[in-house]
Order: sequence, then structure tokens, then C-alpha cells
Amino acid sequence: MTTNLILVLVVLTNLKLLGSSRLGASIRMVALQGMVLGLLPVLAHLQNLSVHFVLLSLGTIALKGIVFPWLLFRAVREAEVAREIEPYVGYVASLVAGVLALGVSFGMCARLTMPENIASPWLAPVALFSIFAGLFLIVARKRALNQVLGFLVLENGIYTFGVGIVAETPFLVELGVLLDVFVAVFVMGIAVYHINREFDHIETDRLDRLKG
Amino acid sequence: MRHETMLWLLILVPAVTGGLTLPLTSAQALLRALCAGVGITVALGWYVAGKVLLSGPVCAGAEWLYLDALSAYNLAVMLLIYGLCSAYAAVYFGVEWQEGRLTLRQARQFASLWCGALAAMTLVFISNNLGIMWVGIEATTLLTGFLICVHVTRESLEAMWKYILICSVGVAFAFMGTLLVGASTHELGLRAPEVLLWTRLHAHAALLNPVWLKAAFIFLLVGYGTKAGLAPMHNWLPDAHSQAPAPVSALFSGLMLNTALYCVMRYVPLVEAGTGNTGWGLRLLVGFGLFSILVAAAFIVFQRDLKRLLAYSSVEHLGIITLGVGLGGLGTFAALFHTLNHSLCKTLAFFAAGRLGQTFGTHDMHRLSGAMRVAPAWGMGLFGSLLALIGVAPFALFMSELQILKAAMDGKAILTLVLFLFGAGVVFVGALGHAIPLAWGKAGPVARPDRIGILESLLVVVPFGLLLVLGLWMPESLQAALNNAADVIRQTGNAFTASAGGMAP
Repeated sequence: MTTNLILVLVVLTNLKLLGSSRLGASIRMVALQGMVLGLLPVLAHLQNLSVHFVLLSLGTIALKGIVFPWLLFRAVREAEVAREIEPYVGYVASLVAGVLALGVSFGMCARLTMPENIASPWLAPVALFSIFAGLFLIVARKRALNQVLGFLVLENGIYTFGVGIVAETPFLVELGVLLDVFVAVFVMGIAVYHINREFDHIETDRLDRLKG
Repeated sequence: MRHETMLWLLILVPAVTGGLTLPLTSAQALLRALCAGVGITVALGWYVAGKVLLSGPVCAGAEWLYLDALSAYNLAVMLLIYGLCSAYAAVYFGVEWQEGRLTLRQARQFASLWCGALAAMTLVFISNNLGIMWVGIEATTLLTGFLICVHVTRESLEAMWKYILICSVGVAFAFMGTLLVGASTHELGLRAPEVLLWTRLHAHAALLNPVWLKAAFIFLLVGYGTKAGLAPMHNWLPDAHSQAPAPVSALFSGLMLNTALYCVMRYVPLVEAGTGNTGWGLRLLVGFGLFSILVAAAFIVFQRDLKRLLAYSSVEHLGIITLGVGLGGLGTFAALFHTLNHSLCKTLAFFAAGRLGQTFGTHDMHRLSGAMRVAPAWGMGLFGSLLALIGVAPFALFMSELQILKAAMDGKAILTLVLFLFGAGVVFVGALGHAIPLAWGKAGPVARPDRIGILESLLVVVPFGLLLVLGLWMPESLQAALNNAADVIRQTGNAFTASAGGMAP
């Protein structure tokens, strides 16, 4: 039951992200999504709970709920920008696309045979929806920071899938993955900082000198 | 020394070297230390790879480390190219240091990231756990990102942003694929630490769930394919290759693309066995391979920038390798051979492009004309490598491409054959049109005179000589190694292997 609640929250935060123009609000949404997803390892495995899942929960909440938003808010302050000006795809159109993607995700996952001991039948479709939403954000937004948020949403989708369905992944692998994502966001943050200093803005549509 | 220790050392030595270079206070010392560290790793790696190729797979660290013929061969090629690139980096950045265009900070950044990338790539080849293999690929992406903008300019930042973002998304897809492979093992009842071990999956490949496995392979192919520069996910590649300093471009083309493609190769036998040897996965590979060849051919004709031309040529050659693996049988053998040839040739081409760029102060092919007269050694190296890249006999690339053509004939894949020949033909004409004025045109203005030492001439002669020798004569030990490596990919058999498997030269 609580697993379903988490998944509904993930869907809602994704839709909010697709329809939001303010960077601050978007970062808070991603932070909320990260916190909520942090509870997933424990809640999805209540019957066979082990230290492994508790540690994974704590690590996720710390990274996705606290460290990433802090890094991103810092980048926003450095760059002194508050909102996306003109995205490639408008916010209403983005929302419509999001709802369509949600439908497609459920349709696609209906064809897969799920393992029996799975915590919720919505896990796979919601994970897929997050992946679609993240990809959409990366493609449809101009601000480098919004693209980083898109990457995080995509990553969250994969995480949902991994924790919910492939629970057997060894701890070391999960640790490596978390570390890599952390470094990725860190690197992207530095890149945003450099781009900002060099170009006086962080709109990637002006990154257009290299062609052909 | 025991194999286990050797495998651990392979990761440790470069990582430690990266740390040790940091306190050094001259770029020359930094570069020498870097070469020494890489040299030790190369010696160790070749020793282990040689052992494996002679006497079978090595397993260590509670099955988490594993080296079989396929990974040993790829590791050996990777280390050979890494050694060449490191020596070249010492020359290239040595020149920049003397001219005051390289700060100590940039040199340190370069040295530590360069060593880190070597450790990460080695990790990819020696890990048996598919999750750790993924961690290695992701780590190379992040470490090499900053190598693109050793010199911070607008263009290099743009290239780096595209590289980091596109490849991170691609690699995230690959992780999704890895998880889906994990999900396909549900019916096997493996214990948690064993789920992603390649050896275990390979032993039970026929029992994997085919629907999950197919979904997994699509994600893996798109994900690792992005990193390998297969079209249509290649957009980051020309930018990154053209903006990075030449040693880094050579590293990208000669190693990183292969490393990503190696990951796809790892999954091919699993997917083939899991989907009942119907050739489903192989057909996907053929499709991606052909598409990459054709897209690259179209862009090569209209290039002006030398390094972008070479970048698109990498897309073409990675397409050829993918096509070879997809054709199976003799094609797999030829694809692995082509990996070595392409890496050697492309690093030589980037070496030449980088040094000529320093001499002329540009990479614009119109202004680089007459390179052969201005800088005979590197001009010759560039012209020769361009000829080899477009498939002129008797270089080794011609031989491996011929074998891939033969594999297509054996498989009666006529459309594939025609499209491949068409793409290769367009590249031949297009690149030759660029190469001739480049070598013999009227010499343009020269930014600084060309001086060349013994080490530099060796960097031209060694790859060039190897390409020539391999084109004319293949040593039996190499042939056996290639066959063993190819057997790892195709041992589960497919429609083509039955007819062509025994015909490897």
C-alpha cells in the first residue's frame, strides 16, 4: 500500500516537473522525489528486510534528497537564474506529452511477465514513465540545469526499477552506481559553473558553434 | 606472482601513479612519471593477457574478476594503444609546455585524469560482474570529460557538455539494460551475489527469460552504443574528438569506443543463447552497423576540419566492427581483427593531425595543404593512415574489411553487402579527395617550424609498420588469439557459424 503511495508521488512530481518553469520549484520537486524514493528499498522489502536495504535507503535519502539539491541550489545562486525562459516545448504541451507517456508506459509493461514476489504491479510502469519524463526534460529544455534535473529523473526511474524488481543486485554494485551518479552530478555542476563563467548564461541552445 | 594479485595490480598501478604525479612540479617530470606508470601497467597487462590467451581463462576475487580470451585480447589491444598514446602525450604536451601554453595545473589535471581513465578501462575488461563493468564505463565517461577541456575555450566547453550529458544518458540506459538482464534471471534462482556474474549467466544462458532479455539488449545496445559512437547516437563524438587535445582524441577513438563496444560483445552470446539462437540480436547489430557506416560516409564527404573527418571515420569503423560481429562466423573474427587495426591506424592519424595542427596552428584542411613538404614525417604518417583508413591494400584494415565482406557473402546477405560496399566507396572517394591536397597541395603558412626527435619518428614508424606487416602476414599466435576471442562471442552458434566457422584464415 505504502509502496503504491510512493509511486503515485513519483508520478505527480514528474508531472509537476514537466509543467514547471521555476528552477527553484523544480529542484525542490526532484529533492522530494529523491527522498520519497529513498524509502522504497525498505518499504518494497518489508518481509525480507536486511541491513543492505536500510543502508541503501539512508544513502539514497542523503544523496538524492539532500546533497544533490544543495549542489544544484548552489549552481542556481552562482548562475543567478530563476526560470527557464523559452523551452523548446511549452509547458502545457509538455504536460500532455507526460500524460501520454504515462499511458504508453502502462501499456508496454502490461506485456511483460513480472516476477511473483513484486511489491506493486505499478513499479515497472512508473519506472518507465520516469525514464521517459527525464529524457523529455533533457531534450525539451534549454537550461543546462534543467537538463541535469532531467538526468536525475531518468536516473530515479532506473533506480525505481532496480530496487523494486531486481532486488538481488549486490550491495557493492549499488554502491558503485550511487557513487557514479554522485560524481556525474558533481561533474555536471562544475561544467555548468564553467559554462556560466565563459558564456555569462547557461542556455545550451547557444552552445551551437560545433556543427556538421 | 599469482594471477589474482596481478589482476588487482592492473587497477592499482595506474590509480597510484595518478596520485603520485600530483606533487611533481614540472610538466616534464609529470609526463615522464605518467609514461612510467602506464609502461608498468602495459607490461603487467600483456603478461596476464598472454597467459590467458595461451592457457585459458583466469578467475579471481570470489569470481568478481575474470579474464577470458575475449577480454584478454581487448585488454592487450587497449594497453598497446594506451602506451602509444602516453608516449605521444609526452611529446605533444612537452611542446606546449616549452611554448608556455600549458600551465602546471593543466598538466596535473591531465596526468591524474589520464591515469584514472586507464584504471577505469582496465576495470571494464577484468570484471566478471556486469554491474561493475558498467561502473567502469561510467567512470571513464566522467574522468575523460575534463580531458576534453584541458584548454578551456567556448568550443571545448560546448563539446564537453554534450559529451557528458549525452554519454551519461546513454550509460544510464546501459544500466537499465544491465538491470533487465538481472530481471531475466528470476527463474534461475541465483543467489544475490551471483546474479550479474557473466560466467554464471553464460552457463545458464538458455534458461534466461527471452522477453526480458530482448528488452535488456535493446537498452544495452542503445546505451553502450551511445558511448561507442554508433549512429544515430553519435552526435557527441565529432565535437568531443575535434575539441579535445590530440592525445585525448586518439584515446577516445582508439580505446574508449572499443571499450564500450566490448561491453556489447559480452552480451551477444547471452542474448543469442537466451533467445534460442534465432539471430535476433545479431540482426540488430547488422542494422546499427550499416546505419553508422552510411551516416558517417555522408558526413565525411563535406568535412573541412581534419579532426572532425577522423571522428566521422571512427563512426564508420565502429559501424564496420559492429557489422562484423552481427554477421557472425568469419565476421566475428574479422571484427576483432579490425578493432586492433582501426585503433592503431586511428591513433596514428590523430597523432599526425595533432602535431601538424601545432605546426600549422589550425586543423582546417584547406590551410593544412602541403603537409608532406612542411613536415615530412607526420605528413607521411597522416597520408598513409588516411589511405589505410579508407581501405587501401595492402594495409591490415583492407584485410579485415575483406574478411567482413566474405562473411556477408557466406551468409548470403546481399543487401548488407551492397550497402557496406556503397558506404565504403563513398568514404573512399570522399576522404581521398581530402587527402591528396592535404599531402601534396601548395604549402600554406606555417605557425612554427617542424622539429622531430627519435621518439617522434618511432611513433610514426611503429604503428605504420605494424599495419603493413599485419596486412601482409598474420602470425599464427595472433590468429589463434583472435579465434579464441571470437569463439567466446559465437560459441553458442548461429545460422552463419555452421557454414563459415571453420573458414577463418
